[in-house]
Amino acid sequence: MFEIDYAESGEVICSGRLDAAQSAKAEAFLGRLDASHTLDFERLEYISSAGLAILLKTQKRLSGSGAAIKIINVNKHIYDIFRYSGFNAIFEIETL
Amino acid sequence: MAAQSFERSIDSVASLYRFSEDIMSASAIDESVRFPVHLAMEELFVNLVHYNPGARRDIMVDVEAAGGKVTVTITDQDAAEFDVTKQRPVDTGASLSERKPGGLGLHLIQHMVDTLEYDYRDGRSKIRFSKEPETTDV
Repeated sequence: MFEIDYAESGEVICSGRLDAAQSAKAEAFLGRLDASHTLDFERLEYISSAGLAILLKTQKRLSGSGAAIKIINVNKHIYDIFRYSGFNAIFEIETL
Repeated sequence: MAAQSFERSIDSVASLYRFSEDIMSASAIDESVRFPVHLAMEELFVNLVHYNPGARRDIMVDVEAAGGKVTVTITDQDAAEFDVTKQRPVDTGASLSERKPGGLGLHLIQHMVDTLEYDYRDGRSKIRFSKEPETTDV
């Protein structure tokens, strides 16, 4: 199960497992962002390449208007995936 | 060892996760092994579904967990030939404007599992991978 929604603070809270079956839900939400946002991954347990593709697509689109996604509270396993993918160079990332 | 067949659909990813998680939890497999096993299983399963859309037969998954090590065998009797062990370079140092979404699945697997084997004959592909806990040097 994957959930994505705004917190009262304005940050985007992601939780659960962002796998291939859930990537459409992430894409529908992130596709509506039109300014810089912080994604809080504290409760995100898992991400696969399908989720990475959505993050990259969103970052590329936002960069056209000078905006960007920042990702915070990333667990060790997800950070490893970001590192192997080179995402640590194209996203601002803060680990747990 | 436990085996189960899964409908070749992206929607099977959740049941694939539950199946393997139950086996690994029962064997007290460490999280540092479980995460890459789940990732490799999903990426390989999704590849089989995506790249052979005309196929109909279910995909068989065997999971063996013992001594902290997990070995997974994925057998597709209705497969197109696609060697998952072949290197498919991804320029992970490219700038944001140069990066293209997609193509990271096999790249990640090849970094995160310990062994990865592929066998294809007569329309049947068998993919086997294993993962052990990381050892800490003293």
